[in-house]
Amino acid sequence: MLAIKLAFKNLMGAGLRTWLNVIVLSFAFVLIIFYNGLMDGWNRQARNDTQDWEIGNGQFWHPTYDKFDPYTIAESHEVISDEIQKLIQENKVTPILIRQITIYPQGRLMSAKLKGIDPNQQILKIPSGDIQNSQNKYAAIIGQGMADASKLKIGDNVLVRWRDKNGTFDALEIEIVSIFKCNVPPVENGTIYMDIEVVQEMTSLQNQATMLITNRDYENTKLEGWEFKDLNFLLAEFDKIIESKKGGGMVLQSILLLLALLAVFDTQVLSIFRRQKEIGTYMALGLSRTKIVGIFTVEGAAHSILAAIVGAIYGIPLFIYLSKVGIYYGNIAKASGLTMAETLYPYYSIKLIISSILIVVISATLVSYLPARKISKMSPNRALKGKIQ
Amino acid sequence: MEIIKIEGMTKRFPVGNGEFTALRNIDLSIAEGEFVGLVGPSGSGKTTLLNIIGSLDTPSEGTTTVINQDVASLSHKQSALLRNIHLGFIFQTYNLLPVYTVYENVEFALLLQNRNATDRKKAVMEALDWVGLTDKIKSKPAMLSGGESQRVAIARAMVKKPKIVLADEPTANLDSENSHHILQTMLQLNEALNTTFIFATHDEKVMKYLKRKISLADGKVISDEIMQLERSSKYESFK
Repeated sequence: MLAIKLAFKNLMGAGLRTWLNVIVLSFAFVLIIFYNGLMDGWNRQARNDTQDWEIGNGQFWHPTYDKFDPYTIAESHEVISDEIQKLIQENKVTPILIRQITIYPQGRLMSAKLKGIDPNQQILKIPSGDIQNSQNKYAAIIGQGMADASKLKIGDNVLVRWRDKNGTFDALEIEIVSIFKCNVPPVENGTIYMDIEVVQEMTSLQNQATMLITNRDYENTKLEGWEFKDLNFLLAEFDKIIESKKGGGMVLQSILLLLALLAVFDTQVLSIFRRQKEIGTYMALGLSRTKIVGIFTVEGAAHSILAAIVGAIYGIPLFIYLSKVGIYYGNIAKASGLTMAETLYPYYSIKLIISSILIVVISATLVSYLPARKISKMSPNRALKGKIQ
Repeated sequence: MEIIKIEGMTKRFPVGNGEFTALRNIDLSIAEGEFVGLVGPSGSGKTTLLNIIGSLDTPSEGTTTVINQDVASLSHKQSALLRNIHLGFIFQTYNLLPVYTVYENVEFALLLQNRNATDRKKAVMEALDWVGLTDKIKSKPAMLSGGESQRVAIARAMVKKPKIVLADEPTANLDSENSHHILQTMLQLNEALNTTFIFATHDEKVMKYLKRKISLADGKVISDEIMQLERSSKYESFK
């Protein structure tokens, strides 16, 4: 208690030097929390969007299906059993039949995926109901990303070629009846959505599907003949991207934190050198060396406490503002190919704030302790004379 | 009653590749309540002797017993405790803690003894009353004159009512009038509280206040005299 009281008194007494250190350290605080908050906000938004638009509460895959291997698509289809039909009717799962196709927009050739989806499904946010807006049996919807890449517009007809279950090529013209926007690139890009029954008929795969997407409330992970892929598996790729982004951000944060800690370290070294007489006086008054080391360590560490307070003064309003209005990324989001909204809303969790404070306080305590250790070797007599080099 | 006993004490300091002998074979005994001056020119060893008595330094040879404790055998913690409880220091340059007020500087010595707030306040105000600075409790050391600063240092040394006060050239930075006031105050406190005062000084102004004068030259005691003084009983109430 005495050490804390003395440390804060001495810090306040040091005036401008203290505040310079505190301000630099507070920048480190605010930047660490801001950046990690932004990443966490992105992570939350991306996970939510991916669940809403693509994966629900997990997917049941045909055992041979591998989303990273297009050669598995041709053979990955299974009959939808009565048990699954019941789940579909109860809105617990929705089937998707995936086939590889080639389209010829404006005479060009493009590879794409054709996904058969139930127009009445309520599990994904994909506006599959739009397929029924047209009288055309071969109505299709696409995402904005696909529309941009293929230059297709609503009302356009485009030639589609595919192989049926026997490997025979077939082709016909489909009509684009709706274009939707979403933040999940795999949903938007390179994919055409049509009524699953029509796709089943086109490919002679009646009543078959490649995968089943589960409702957010559906928790069963066992369906005979299907392999369940949970959220950890389906979001692993995205988690790695976030981790690598956080890692990249840590370099900048570490540089700023190191600069701030260097300033604290420098202040401590200077302080111990300049305040030898004061240290000697403490010793003469009966403070043990360990306690004096404690006072100087707490004094250095107190920079980080003050920095947390100063950082809170300008950081909290900033964080509240940003978490309400978000940060607009616009086209950068699209161009990145990552699951990312045009506007990101940072998310500041208690865990993030506490861990950031702990990182800065522990680092500041450590860099304060290192020079303060020298005091434990000081002779009181020489300290009083200020003769220690 | 003997409070300090020094026998065959020698102190050497390393200088370059050799050694410098600051004190040679000192034998000395000081009783409780004495008002002693260690006098001599610069380099005679008086500050070194004071530092050893104050357990700020240790002898190279011989024994120095302060309040029944051999300073050479004390650990850092034990010597800190000895200084905390039994010793008060007054320095030539006052050594007040610049960020604290007068009150806090004096209170500091009591904080180290974990005394409660009521106790501390009473003792601090009493000590500041002894030195006549109750009107300056909120001042910072930078706002005080040299005389006032030294009076704060005396109050800080005396507030815990130590058995021994060690003063290193306490009047060296003061004019005659302030020196007189400071020495009068210390003398009165010595009489009122029976505190042992030991000065290291070569200031002629101090000599007439000493009850005992131990002269040092080249690290040796060359004379040890009892002085005749007029006594004051103004501070009887300190008891």
